[in-house]
Amino acid sequence: MRIGLLALILAAATGIAHAIDFTPQEVRAILRHGPWPAPWKPDPSNRVSGQAEAIALGEKLFFEPRLSAKGGVLCATCHVPYRGWQDGRGRGMGHVEVDRNTQSVLDVRWNRWFGWDGAGDSLWAQSIRPLLDAREMGGGSAAHAAKFVREDPEYACRYTRAFGAEPPADDEALLVDIGKALAAFQETLVSGRAPFDDFRDALERADKVAMAAYPATAQRGLRIFVGKGNCDQCHVGPAFSNGEFHDIGISHFIRRGEVDAGRHGGIQRLKASRFNLLGRYNDDPSGNAAIKTKHVAIDHRNFGEFKVPVLRNVARTAPYMHSGRIATLTEAVRHYSDLNIDRLHADGEAILKPLKLSEQEIADLVAFLESLTEQRSAIAPPGISASCKNP
Amino acid sequence: MEKRRCALRRTAEVQVRAVAAAALFSTALQGIACELPAGGNFVDSPRYSLSYRTQPARISVGEHFALDFSVCAKDGRPPPGAVVVDAWMPAHKHGMNYKAEVKSYGGGRFYATGLMFHMPGLWQFLFDIDGERIADNIPIE
Repeated sequence: MRIGLLALILAAATGIAHAIDFTPQEVRAILRHGPWPAPWKPDPSNRVSGQAEAIALGEKLFFEPRLSAKGGVLCATCHVPYRGWQDGRGRGMGHVEVDRNTQSVLDVRWNRWFGWDGAGDSLWAQSIRPLLDAREMGGGSAAHAAKFVREDPEYACRYTRAFGAEPPADDEALLVDIGKALAAFQETLVSGRAPFDDFRDALERADKVAMAAYPATAQRGLRIFVGKGNCDQCHVGPAFSNGEFHDIGISHFIRRGEVDAGRHGGIQRLKASRFNLLGRYNDDPSGNAAIKTKHVAIDHRNFGEFKVPVLRNVARTAPYMHSGRIATLTEAVRHYSDLNIDRLHADGEAILKPLKLSEQEIADLVAFLESLTEQRSAIAPPGISASCKNP
Repeated sequence: MEKRRCALRRTAEVQVRAVAAAALFSTALQGIACELPAGGNFVDSPRYSLSYRTQPARISVGEHFALDFSVCAKDGRPPPGAVVVDAWMPAHKHGMNYKAEVKSYGGGRFYATGLMFHMPGLWQFLFDIDGERIADNIPIE
């Protein structure tokens, strides 16, 4: 009791916040954003998901330039570990500049769809796509990637350990397994706990002293996030994303006369892909993993929709939006504050409206978003792995 | 001759009455046969009553679920052979991002798969049966 009182007095003296009295409805909404890390199960469509040997192979492949057609680009060229597993650029740059912002692969294991348009229905299928895209990794073929893994003794050995058989002769089957190993590695990239998580857990325990350690401005921003801002309608759950797609009034033009169709194009590409979960490479015998792919609906309103991004570590992943046009978090919040609803392809939807936030409210919301930044990384540093051939 | 005609007429009348009685009995039987299972969520419209359960029982945002449901016609007619299932958020004026597939198991029993609510808030199930719509509110936390 004395310690609690002392902490409160100390908090007041040092300018640290007291806990806001959130309403029961606000408390319920806040608690939905945790606990962190959230539960996770290995991907049933990937037979090596969660397996140590596949994770080790995937990590090596992630940093392997020889997978690209000309040997100069690796996955980590765009998904840079020290830049929050993205590249800090407006638009990604592989062999040439692409049309969209690079999304972080941190916390990617909780995604339902992959890429800004969700053209990938599994992390392994999404991991294959850049290998075959001329703009990203030079347009290598299945044959190129397969030959590399098959003929390199170290990779061939690691493949055999991870998949329990020697690399197959079928180039496409081997390409898919390369994607599955890359996915197994990326599934381990989980963000560490953020100040918000400590506050959320303290709120659940009704621990007012611990709650008061969370800055007042972040608390006020959180109240806007789950209340007036309605942000948690789309930024749902522990990862702060419902994993679906919305039009938020960002220009669709890539360049003069050329538009990005967003989710509409993504569903078309998904349905046409030989690597989707309805195809032969899905390892899930139950069929449950493919339910989303089987039932996803394409509609006119999907035009110009892009995926709701995960907000964890959002302060480290500027610039923002699918085209990277918004430079700072403050500008991103201001976009919603001054939203031009005439720019939405909403087809009558009534979710978004201008929030008309004051400067103080914008600052509070930004403070809350910054409080989603991990305090320390939860990712183990890469070890020096012994050669597979000569352990 | 006249006697024979009268006898034939009487026989025909008996047959017609028998057929009519059988038809009435059959309709009554169908009405009795269509019983909604207990324990579900009951909703109705002027012509139909419906009972449904979600699978799993508790629906979470972002999780696919199925609907097990039965439909009866109130006037004793046979149950419908097809039902279209959808859902939407009245406040947001948008539906699901997924199209439900409905299978009929006969006798008014149906199973819909592929549904998913991608936002918290008030959703509404929509059952379209023979030009008539039955709606039911379902709050999602």
